[in-house]
Amino acid sequence: MRKLILSLLAVLLITGVSLADGKKYGTGVTLKEVTKISTIFENPEEYTGKKVVVEGMIVDVCSKRGCWMEIASDKEFEKIRVKVEDGEIVFPLEAKGKNALVEGMVEKIEMTKEQAIERAKHHAEEVGQKFDPASVTGPEVFYQIRGLGAVIK
Amino acid sequence: MKWRKWIRILHRDIGYLATGLTVIYAISGVAVNHVDEWNPNYSIERSTIKLDSIPSLEKEAMIKYILNEIGETGKIKNSFRPAPDKLDIFVEGNTISVNYTTKEVAQEKMASRTVIRESNFLHLNAPKKVWTYVADVFAVALAFLAISGLFMIKGKNGITGRGAWMTALGILLPIIFLIIYYY
Repeated sequence: MRKLILSLLAVLLITGVSLADGKKYGTGVTLKEVTKISTIFENPEEYTGKKVVVEGMIVDVCSKRGCWMEIASDKEFEKIRVKVEDGEIVFPLEAKGKNALVEGMVEKIEMTKEQAIERAKHHAEEVGQKFDPASVTGPEVFYQIRGLGAVIK
Repeated sequence: MKWRKWIRILHRDIGYLATGLTVIYAISGVAVNHVDEWNPNYSIERSTIKLDSIPSLEKEAMIKYILNEIGETGKIKNSFRPAPDKLDIFVEGNTISVNYTTKEVAQEKMASRTVIRESNFLHLNAPKKVWTYVADVFAVALAFLAISGLFMIKGKNGITGRGAWMTALGILLPIIFLIIYYY
């Protein structure tokens, strides 16, 4: 019995090591072609609803649930948010500063002023910053990637 | 009775097998139950200081200068400029955000909550794959432990006596909360 339990533990540990070695999240990356983030932002309507793979440095991660991360663009001062379903994929905070390949659908988010205030308020709470509703001046439209999978290097 | 003997044997052995996961799920259950009040996976410490001045330097020199000013000696992972007057520096366990305009340097130091984070990883089925089925089997095992537990003891303390009242109370509790909060 003891031998059986020890053998089982050994198998589990070996399996665990090999699983931990993989830094694939969700479905991983299936498309071969990488689209530049700046290209998406140059003509976002063309990419809306399409599946893309983007690559870049992870510059922010949702500290509460790991349900989003932001990827730096190839263009300076530009980044794109990758949002995943809560609990489906959990990005680790340690990923900040690492490189990632992300696959997902480009989506257009249109928000009323009230929704934009709520979103900004929620974000400020997440990062522990003070929130000024006056900082949101009107309705917002932005593009993000609905993440399906990622590989963090 | 022979069936009661078997119930006891199965309850005992499945109980032994389920102990580890039950404790893991209990730890994680409490941790994620309070997700609005704390971060169940990381301890995060945020602080901001204001520098008297920030010299005009190239990016690499600026990173060295800022890290020296705040006494950060961790390994530099990368850096990013989110805006012309901002610089984010990623160090192992710390994210430093510099604002050249306000001269503020914000730090977000984080450390993984050992044991609790691993418990959450399993409890919330982050691994997916085979773990999904392990968790399913565990759920069935828990249901078996609950039901078999009802029939382990006979007599006045069993399910026909005191046990019936205690079980009814246990079922009533969630029903009361459903009436209050759900309906």
